[in-house]
Amino acid sequence: MSKIIHLDLNRCIYCHACEVACEREHRGISNIFITLLDERQAIPLACRHCEKNPCLVVCPTNAIERKESGAVIIHSLRCIGCKLCALVCPFGVIQLDEMDKVVRKCDLCVHRLEDGKDPACVKTCSARAMKFGEFDKIMADVREKKSMSIISGVTDNEGFVVTLPERS
Amino acid sequence: MQLVPTICTYCGTGCGLYLAVEEGKAVGIEYLSAHPASEGALCPKGNALLQILYHPDRLLYPQKKENGAFKRISWDEAYGIIADKLKEIISIYGSDAVAFYGSAQCTNEENYLLQKMGRLLGTNNIDHCARLCHAPSVAALAATLGSGAMTNTIHGFADSDCILIVGSNFTENHPVISRWVLDAKEKGAKIIVVDPRYTPTAWFADSFLQLRPGTDIALINGMISVILKEKLYNYNFIEERTEGFDDLGKSLVNYSLQEASKITGIPEDSIKEAARLYARAKNASIIYCMGVTQHRSGTDNVIALSNLALICGNFGRPGTGINPLRGQANVQGSCDMGVLPSFFPGYVKISDKAQRKRIANLWGVEDLPTQPGLTIVEIINAVHDGRIKGAYVMGESLMVSDPDTHHVEEALHKLDFLIVQDIFMTETAALADILLPAVCYAEKEGSVTSTERRVQWRHKAIEPPGEAKADWKILCELAEKMGLAEKFMYNSAEEILIEINKAIPAYGGITPARLKENIGGLCWPCPDSSHQGTPILHISSFRTPSGKGIIKPVVHREPAEIPNYEYPFTLTTGRLVLHYNSGNMTRRSPSLNKRVPEVFVEINRKDAEYLGIKPDERVKVISRRGSVEAKALITRRVAPGVVFLPFHFPGVNRLTIAELDPVSKIPEFKVATCRIEKVADQVGEQ
Repeated sequence: MSKIIHLDLNRCIYCHACEVACEREHRGISNIFITLLDERQAIPLACRHCEKNPCLVVCPTNAIERKESGAVIIHSLRCIGCKLCALVCPFGVIQLDEMDKVVRKCDLCVHRLEDGKDPACVKTCSARAMKFGEFDKIMADVREKKSMSIISGVTDNEGFVVTLPERS
Repeated sequence: MQLVPTICTYCGTGCGLYLAVEEGKAVGIEYLSAHPASEGALCPKGNALLQILYHPDRLLYPQKKENGAFKRISWDEAYGIIADKLKEIISIYGSDAVAFYGSAQCTNEENYLLQKMGRLLGTNNIDHCARLCHAPSVAALAATLGSGAMTNTIHGFADSDCILIVGSNFTENHPVISRWVLDAKEKGAKIIVVDPRYTPTAWFADSFLQLRPGTDIALINGMISVILKEKLYNYNFIEERTEGFDDLGKSLVNYSLQEASKITGIPEDSIKEAARLYARAKNASIIYCMGVTQHRSGTDNVIALSNLALICGNFGRPGTGINPLRGQANVQGSCDMGVLPSFFPGYVKISDKAQRKRIANLWGVEDLPTQPGLTIVEIINAVHDGRIKGAYVMGESLMVSDPDTHHVEEALHKLDFLIVQDIFMTETAALADILLPAVCYAEKEGSVTSTERRVQWRHKAIEPPGEAKADWKILCELAEKMGLAEKFMYNSAEEILIEINKAIPAYGGITPARLKENIGGLCWPCPDSSHQGTPILHISSFRTPSGKGIIKPVVHREPAEIPNYEYPFTLTTGRLVLHYNSGNMTRRSPSLNKRVPEVFVEINRKDAEYLGIKPDERVKVISRRGSVEAKALITRRVAPGVVFLPFHFPGVNRLTIAELDPVSKIPEFKVATCRIEKVADQVGEQ
């Protein structure tokens, strides 16, 4: 199964480490964008490497490829900078590199993956708000955490809360 | 390609990383996952570390000021001028006419050498930026607990059941610490944040107390009075391990929650709730920072927090303690090394004759200066009085980081002789008579001590640019010219650390060999080479003479400036995640500076509406001491009546007040009053 970047939005502290790390790994251009909402919630957004890819479908020069690993990447040499992909991207995470006249987006740090290293944004995240892994495994972890919070009364919701008896 | 482990040069978290070096050039950063505090994470500043290394502004050779302009000279000439001039000042005016500024950006070894040089020249006028950040912690916690450092570890925050965060915005200033606090929260810990601003740290609070700036004691005493009234304190701990509990009770007999609420502006119920959350938790931690210390009541503010932790018995276990977060990579170490006017290395009091003699013996002299020296702000005042004629500044920019910039600037102009040793032409370096090019974290080796007392080794990764030299090397070579050659016979940072092992008992077992082997180093105290270090302090007794924790009643004092008709706003200053202290490194890092390129002032929406100020409009912030122009950021982060400016930009400290805490001599950076004016000519300029 392909690996994805998962975000825990309850942990993002709006520190911009992911952006600066991405910039360093991608010659000064960050492909992750952190947005502040109502001065109290930050959302770092990059290409989601969708399972079905409108960007790939509309690309007139076949510059976008979905790799076996799941990474959706742009072949800059084939890209003509028409920005059709940006029209259909639901997340607004495709940008124009004005210098090279091509579009850029998150490439899942393929150069790092080849060396067996996780993407830079995930490794650097100050608050450990990002995870890189197989989607179903990450979801299993999330479920476990949520389950714990239900039985130990961590949840903010009033009402049904059970507490596990302490083990000696 | 070679990976060289190093420690980030910015805040006190002490994150580890690898520098990727190719053919002698640092070409990349790799994350060091095995690090105990950071697990490989780096904040944006850490990620931009390469951008300062090859910056075109780096100082490359020694320079001398002639007719107002700098001229390149040789090292030999520079040393000759410095030695002659310092000797001349000392022979005419005495040793105390010279002052030394150490640097929390430099290693333990370099700071140790700087204070050794100052003291061998006969003065204790030795201080550094800790005066402007945690001097109250050193003074207060040394008195109440016997040690001024963080009691617990960074990763240990994850074990807390309740974390009380007072005046710390660690999500911006120590971002990596957030991961451990968020871990605790996920496990069910309650988070209480006390701050005049709704910072990103406050986003995660279960209880957010937005107090009026400068009223911390009123709040903490309010919480203590709830704990006393509801008997939520830890009776056994108080009996066995503390002194002074009865006095605390007596001092608060007539203190009502109503009064606490009136002074702080926080509803009574919120104070009650916070007190109960903290006191009922099995293991509760306190995290605090500049919001507590940078007041004229800074020392008492820290004592109030120490009282709270003592009566609830929150010491000696994982997830407890009182934890001042230190702001610079080696500010803890610089204090440990005795770059303080009233302490020799290892916090040996100037008046402690036996210990003083021990250090004198180690250095091969009869005795050391017996009078406490002057602190940072006092040195500036003494320059104005004509008592200080020469200053040696190693890696600090007083012109940006000290309060009341105008007063500082006049003093630096008035000095007969100013030596600045730095990596960039800072606002302070521009005023120097002699400028010495130093090197930064990657270009030298040595040890640094993080906020959790973790001593770690920085390996040298690359060669310095131009003729720049390591600070320890500069000090050794200068010492030779000053006639102190035989006291400064060191060929490497390692040799200096071996002397530190002898000088400071808590560093006794922290040898170069052990540091080089261990990622994550060792936490002091570590008295001998078989000791594994001490992550948690005060497990069975405190480090005070009686072994007990001292509870000491303190009372609220109003800040020096109270808003009035002419200056209606309370001005508070602080830091941003994308910049660092005087900004000399981060303002030169494109990745950081482009995100926050200029100074702004946070103004509450209601105030902005009343003054007719629009978003991003340029305004003038005016205090009794000066003014600065800034872009208006209209926000709900600050309450009405309060404005906030980040101090990383030159000019902001023209506004702040040099009113000092009587004990620790820290200036009241966090509270001044000001007014806001629209910039009149704005339309014409556009």
